[in-house]
Amino acid sequence: MTKNPIRVAVVFGPGRTIRPVWFDLQNRKHSIIETTYTWTDLKGSARRLHFSVRDEGGLYELTYNTAEQTWELNRIEDY
Amino acid sequence: MKIIDTGDFHRTILHIDQNAFFASVEQANNPELRGKPIAVVGGHGRTVITTSSYEARAKGVKTGMAIWEGKRTCPELIIVVGDNRKYTYTASRINEIFRDYTPEVEAFSIDESWLDVTHSLSIFNSAVNIAHLIKARIKHLFGITCSIGIAPNKLLAKLASDMQKPDGLTIIEPDNVSRTLEQMPIKELCGIGKKMQLHLNMMSIYTCGELGRCDEDRLTRKFGIIGKRLKQMGQGIDNSPVVSFADEGDVKSVGHSMTLERDIDDPAEIRRFLLQLSEMVGSRARRYNVSGRTIHLYVRYADFFSSWGKQTTLKSYINLSDEIYRTALGILNTVELEQPVRLLGISLSNLKHQAEQLPLFEDERKKLFATQAMDSINDRFGRMSVTFGTLVPGKEKAGSHVIPPSWRPDGVKNIDVE
Repeated sequence: MTKNPIRVAVVFGPGRTIRPVWFDLQNRKHSIIETTYTWTDLKGSARRLHFSVRDEGGLYELTYNTAEQTWELNRIEDY
Repeated sequence: MKIIDTGDFHRTILHIDQNAFFASVEQANNPELRGKPIAVVGGHGRTVITTSSYEARAKGVKTGMAIWEGKRTCPELIIVVGDNRKYTYTASRINEIFRDYTPEVEAFSIDESWLDVTHSLSIFNSAVNIAHLIKARIKHLFGITCSIGIAPNKLLAKLASDMQKPDGLTIIEPDNVSRTLEQMPIKELCGIGKKMQLHLNMMSIYTCGELGRCDEDRLTRKFGIIGKRLKQMGQGIDNSPVVSFADEGDVKSVGHSMTLERDIDDPAEIRRFLLQLSEMVGSRARRYNVSGRTIHLYVRYADFFSSWGKQTTLKSYINLSDEIYRTALGILNTVELEQPVRLLGISLSNLKHQAEQLPLFEDERKKLFATQAMDSINDRFGRMSVTFGTLVPGKEKAGSHVIPPSWRPDGVKNIDVE
């Protein structure tokens, strides 16, 4: 599954920190246990923030497009 | 620690090598992979291992092995598809950490850098202290380890970092240079490849000690002007400075290469990838307002290890994608391919900064305006948002981009990777 728009709950903390807390996938709320890795890249002039996050069942890559202010689910790896 | 160089000035150089970098990033990214043998491959269709974790290496997995070979060597091997954007981002952040300790940071490749900390010792107390601070910060932020070598010059610092892996810290003190090098095989020196090693072995030179004692005239007769340099290498002498990115000067070439999703021998598909690479090189050259006269084409075959490169120099300077493509195709047509192709690369060199000048003829002007419009859209919405019709995905999907040796943390040499 790639590049699906998704609903994500996020805490914007001090020092420009962004922490995804949970996201919806197929009518199920997934609580994030840990953000394991973060990185950024550019798509055209838009900066994208990538978050590898873990819930009880797998690893997911959530991507925030700062220009469009949208969240996408880019990757799922089930345990 | 204060290190005294064998040259005219005193220097303390660190060489920092991220251990099994791509694999370590993947293990940090996915907790399920930690402590397990993993191999990173270039794309979903690729069958050759580009790098592996230390756990896999301990079981005999090597770079260049086919996946089936890796699995046969280590049945529990986990295959992970690499993500170059993750690696270039991490490498850039790590290089930022280095710059907290000295502005003199030279990125040798995506996972190796030299730091000249000579003038930072009074602030941070010692080179060993700097090394420990860097190790701790990289481990804390990215969960990966590195090996650090400390020595009076770049050659010895790199040698030192290679001596203890993973997570090593090795110091070569000036007083210990001769002792360290005496029995060291020449292949351990950065810059001595397999061919050079073979030539030196034929002269009965096997260790750095033997190379350092060899008569300079004998080396010069055999190798020309690099004879003197070889003798110095054997003696552990290297006066080359740490050149930070800002001091590197103008970009000397613009190039891209890509590993294809699978090995291909269909000429039409090869031409399509050639056009895609030409567009990538052309758009980047135009972005930096440079044009070039020399086109270099590089092909690596399916066996991973055999390759060739050929170049041609034109009378006029070019940077339009179709001109680059036609020239690269001309080179390709002079060669009969021996095997299916694994990797293609094009670079444009012999560069000059281009002055804005409108072409005289209507057709040429239209082509220029169309190219500028295309570049403008792609700058805003992302590479290949608008491109040649031939490049609309067809039989083959695009290949995965290769992080070139010329990768730098920022600036013009930092290529777009996907």
